[in-house]
Amino acid sequence: MSWLNPDDAQWTYVSRRLIPARLISVWLAVVVFAVVFLWLQAYVGGWWYYGAVAVLLVGLWSTWVAVRQVTAHAWAERDDDLVVKSGRMFRRVVVVPYGRMQYVEVQAGPMARMFGIARVQLHTASPGTDAHISGVPVAQAARLRDRLTTRGEAQLAGL
Amino acid sequence: MSQLRSTGPAAEPGPGHLYRAPREWTRVHPVSPFLGIWPLLGAILFYLVVSRAPDWVGGGSEDGVTDAINATHLSYFVIGAILLGIIAIVALFGYLGWRFNQYRIGDDAVYQRKGVLFRQQRQARLDRLQAVDVVQPFVARLVGFGVIRIEVAGGENSGIALEYLRIGDAEALRNEILELAAGYKRRGGPSRDSHATDKPLVADAVVGDAGPSSQAVSSLGGVQGDNLVLGSLHGAAAHDRTDRPAAVERPVYAVPNGRLIGSIALSWPTFWLVLTPVWIVVLMVIFRVDVQRVFLAIVGTSLVTAVPVVVGLLGFFWTQLNRGFGFKAGISQDGIRLRHGLLETRRQTVPPGRVQAVRLRQSWWWRKAGWWDVSINVAGYQNDQDAVSTLLPVGSRAEALEAVWLVLPDLGLVGEDGTDPSAPIAEAMESLRAADGFLTSPRRARALDLFQWRQRGVRATDSALIIRSGRFVREVSITPHARTQSLELRQGPLQRTLGLASVEVHSTNGPVKPVAKHLAVADAVALLDAQAERAREGRKHQSPEQWMKAVGLDAR
Repeated sequence: MSWLNPDDAQWTYVSRRLIPARLISVWLAVVVFAVVFLWLQAYVGGWWYYGAVAVLLVGLWSTWVAVRQVTAHAWAERDDDLVVKSGRMFRRVVVVPYGRMQYVEVQAGPMARMFGIARVQLHTASPGTDAHISGVPVAQAARLRDRLTTRGEAQLAGL
Repeated sequence: MSQLRSTGPAAEPGPGHLYRAPREWTRVHPVSPFLGIWPLLGAILFYLVVSRAPDWVGGGSEDGVTDAINATHLSYFVIGAILLGIIAIVALFGYLGWRFNQYRIGDDAVYQRKGVLFRQQRQARLDRLQAVDVVQPFVARLVGFGVIRIEVAGGENSGIALEYLRIGDAEALRNEILELAAGYKRRGGPSRDSHATDKPLVADAVVGDAGPSSQAVSSLGGVQGDNLVLGSLHGAAAHDRTDRPAAVERPVYAVPNGRLIGSIALSWPTFWLVLTPVWIVVLMVIFRVDVQRVFLAIVGTSLVTAVPVVVGLLGFFWTQLNRGFGFKAGISQDGIRLRHGLLETRRQTVPPGRVQAVRLRQSWWWRKAGWWDVSINVAGYQNDQDAVSTLLPVGSRAEALEAVWLVLPDLGLVGEDGTDPSAPIAEAMESLRAADGFLTSPRRARALDLFQWRQRGVRATDSALIIRSGRFVREVSITPHARTQSLELRQGPLQRTLGLASVEVHSTNGPVKPVAKHLAVADAVALLDAQAERAREGRKHQSPEQWMKAVGLDAR
């Protein structure tokens, strides 16, 4: 998407492995609910299987959303700032100057670790700055963090 | 370093006490635990009064505590012993808490260590200082004590609060902190007030200071010494001085209490309150509600239950009155000083360049009177934001512009064909639709933003971004480029169909949240790019942390 195209920016898209990492928990819930609905259908009767169908549709819709979101999630390191874009339905572009970064956080939950990805979160002095990059391959995340920290220190501006 | 300031007959220790910021570990004042638990004492006193008072005060004969005591079948002796034990434990904890709560000031930071089981060490680095407040809660104020709050840039709870110090100690500490943080040494007072003056100068001090300005203080004590009458009760007389003088201050504006009350009266809560009889009639006639029964159910039959209800209803007015009462603002070398409060007083000092964003606001009720209020974002202020973030509770347009000038003296417009530097803000306040240099929302934004689309506008000057909005509640926010944290461009599905997008400028925690909504996409993207560039330039040219070095006043 060429919605924001900084002339000197190279977008790096996040790893596609974020899609299964996000979807496993969704589909686990879908399966559990579907089984419950089918069990109710078998033992209680009625129209419970519509519930199972609804849950299945929700699962499919989440899958579609996850694929669309992950393929739109990217970041670009420019000379003075980091740009993160995300979302298709609700699009967001966040520009964080290196000089404003207070610290960089790398998180990886059990699911993310299974897929070898991590989430890089940038913190500024503003609580409004919600700049995170989900689904960065672990090695790349560590490098990114170090690079951001170095640049942040070099350009750090007082509040 | 802590070599004493030279000279002046006033510097000799007179009959009074010389307050000094401690360089070695010092405990807070021993009275602190008592000041801390006074609400508990108040509650006990309240219970005693209520249980002895006649029915119409106390609310019937049901005395829950006595019943509960009787139900336990314990003798009063045992109960007394248990109570004594509880008091002893509270006293022990109070004592330990006090004993382990220590602070000191160094050249670079203020240090605090406290906690009995979980020791905490904190340091507030002075080069990251954002604000210093001297707060006097009502009871502490009665007996001449105060809390000093030191706010620094950093994560949550990175500031230090010292509860409680004698007001003289608190002021001495504050003066020293500001002096060290400014990065220059005060060699005696004269350098401070060397500039020519036509307005009277005051110093923000309850007790006097050792500098030559102490005469000014004592002569003006009635004006600014919030505690003067009370102070003399407990010996904080005019003889007592702080080691370092408080910076001499030039008063800029004061809010008359009459206007404050008027501004509080002109508000939605008043409107609803005035309409109360109408509501009651409506309820009675249309819904056939038995109003008397409802009233009794809510208010009860006694004074004790009625008072909290009334207080709750009037809480809004009380909060507004308490925080805006006697509001005074001034400017000194230490930065802007704000003083306000009715029962709990607060004296804030925000060093120059520490204000991250400013918002001017005018509610619909105030339009006729032409009143505005002004709020600021200051990094470090986390809690109690209403109380600390007000720069002007209510004032005329001229005063509001003056308040903006106070915190953002350079808006990057000086010399623009000789016009008034505050012209764009004044225009934004007028909410004109004319071609006044503001980038406005396109007409198609009407579908999403029926009322405000005409008013929305954004304009960048050389040093700040001005955003205006609001049809009924007019708002103008000003964010200096040098203080911009990060930028965000947003677009929801509806905005996309109309080709609109919003740009948000992230500032530090506070009431000001500058956002330019519903701009045309091309404009928004251009604004984001331009703003990123301007913020970069702003960061390059911003003033150093030690603000006095910026103007070459570093006499070290």
